[in-house]
Amino acid sequence: MEKNVLEWLEKISRIHPDKIVYEDSSDKVTFYQAISEARRIGSRLIENVKDKAPIAVMLGRNVHTITSYLGVIYSGHVYAPIDAALPEDRVNKILDALKPAAILTDEESYETASVYGKAIGCDVFKREELNQGITLWPAINSIRKNMVDTDPLYIIFTSGSSGRPKGVITSHHSLMCYISAYTGVMNIGIHDKLGCQSPLDYIAAIRDIYVPLKTGASTYLLPKEYFMQPDELFDLMNKQEITAIGWSTSALTVLTQLGAFSDTRLNTLNKICFSGSVMPGKVLRKWQENLTDAMFVNQYGPTEATASCTYYRVDHVVEENEVIPIGIPYDNYKVFLLKEDNTEAADGEEGEICVAGPCLALGYYRDVERTEASFVRNPLVDTYYERMYRTGDIGRYNKDGLLEFHGRRDRQVKHMGHRVELDEIELAAGLAEGAGECAALYNAEKEALWLFYDGDIEKKDLVMTLRKELPGFMVPRKIKKLEKLPKLPNGKIDMSSLKELAGVK
Amino acid sequence: MRERILEILQDQRPDVDFENETELVSGKILESFDIVSIVSELDDEFDIEITPKDLKAENFDSLEALENLIERLSEE
Repeated sequence: MEKNVLEWLEKISRIHPDKIVYEDSSDKVTFYQAISEARRIGSRLIENVKDKAPIAVMLGRNVHTITSYLGVIYSGHVYAPIDAALPEDRVNKILDALKPAAILTDEESYETASVYGKAIGCDVFKREELNQGITLWPAINSIRKNMVDTDPLYIIFTSGSSGRPKGVITSHHSLMCYISAYTGVMNIGIHDKLGCQSPLDYIAAIRDIYVPLKTGASTYLLPKEYFMQPDELFDLMNKQEITAIGWSTSALTVLTQLGAFSDTRLNTLNKICFSGSVMPGKVLRKWQENLTDAMFVNQYGPTEATASCTYYRVDHVVEENEVIPIGIPYDNYKVFLLKEDNTEAADGEEGEICVAGPCLALGYYRDVERTEASFVRNPLVDTYYERMYRTGDIGRYNKDGLLEFHGRRDRQVKHMGHRVELDEIELAAGLAEGAGECAALYNAEKEALWLFYDGDIEKKDLVMTLRKELPGFMVPRKIKKLEKLPKLPNGKIDMSSLKELAGVK
Repeated sequence: MRERILEILQDQRPDVDFENETELVSGKILESFDIVSIVSELDDEFDIEITPKDLKAENFDSLEALENLIERLSEE
């Protein structure tokens, strides 16, 4: 049995050394080039980084970012991707949680990255400079020999309600379980070409990065700005002969909102997985009508379970108002529903979606407290310790035995495929000079984050503060200043009248 | 017309300097969901229909480009 994702890479690059594995708009690498680059970068990191802590990777959207991740793995470190374009305060919070051994960046982001490196006292390396010299076989072999499959592979940061990002740690084993299950469901093989939509620092990109290593397929990194230009995007996908995608639901939604398919068709795409938020029936129907032979799969799952839990292979053309189930557990996943009293929900009853099995993350990095709150003992098993993760999502099994998603227990929402904690937006807004009370909410139908506030600050200045604190997608686009936020008799903010103002039905 | 376009843009993204920026799309300043809102507001405001044919970076990269696009679509 394989213990390490690099074994996938080593095997496939022996069989198909000259096949393209990753490609972007200006560059491409074969399996052989990818593995050679990764080994060189890994060797230089072994020489230069003695501290065992993770390596923060701040790189752009290109094929060498992926080979750099693989290089970090060869060096025996855990990689933690960070988007260098995030606001400074955000990056600082992440680095504070991570305390990396080094930062790996490139020529382009070097200036930004070295400011961070200086501030936390760690070395900053350019991948161009590390991609040189010989492979240190003995060191690489000895690192591998000492590794087990439950060792951490990567740390990906997600939003936390206290404003402190959470670093989800995933092991080699979890990742390999998910990728194996996913390629099975999607029936992806060596002849497939994946079209990557996700930012490479984000959890959804793990499919586009690792599916090729498992299957021999290749991945094309689609440029971000094409997702607002449907014709250009579809032309490119046809030209590149993209056959399979795993995209955020919102990417599919945005393209239909912008009139996709009205004058350009997709000619090669036939496998579509969507995830990240609830898929509106009318959007899926539009895609189904235009890709009549394609397979559509709805995936559900949190980063803490390697981005996955359940899937539903859509077996009919859906109605415009149809609720699409999240389906059944992936192979090797245990998914069940717990009621408030910690007993299992019966069929047709609502309960919190809980997950157990090898896909579970190792926890949150340097955060025992929040790890212990979410990764707990399964109360249904009293004879031994079974670890499970509480997703915070509510679900229910329908009469066909398929799981349905019924919202959240808390104030977390999914916006454009990303987790957003409404508390975190309010905290950030509260930091603005002159801001009084703030209340954030989400209009899911319009996919719009709203922020209501009172106090002496203009909207523009408030937005400027938010942009310093939060990633761009978390900054509400609908911001309304009120004389005073409406209150309930008990003094709490009257969220239902604010929801009315935001047009939430 | 320019004023009205600017108002719509600034309402969506008060943090962006639309009068001087020339790479709104190609410089990845606007997110895709910004474009969705802006397109729907411009469609309503100027009684036009912006279709995928028009959704090219060169039509959305600057205030001036947008002005030209809307003028052209209004004449059609």
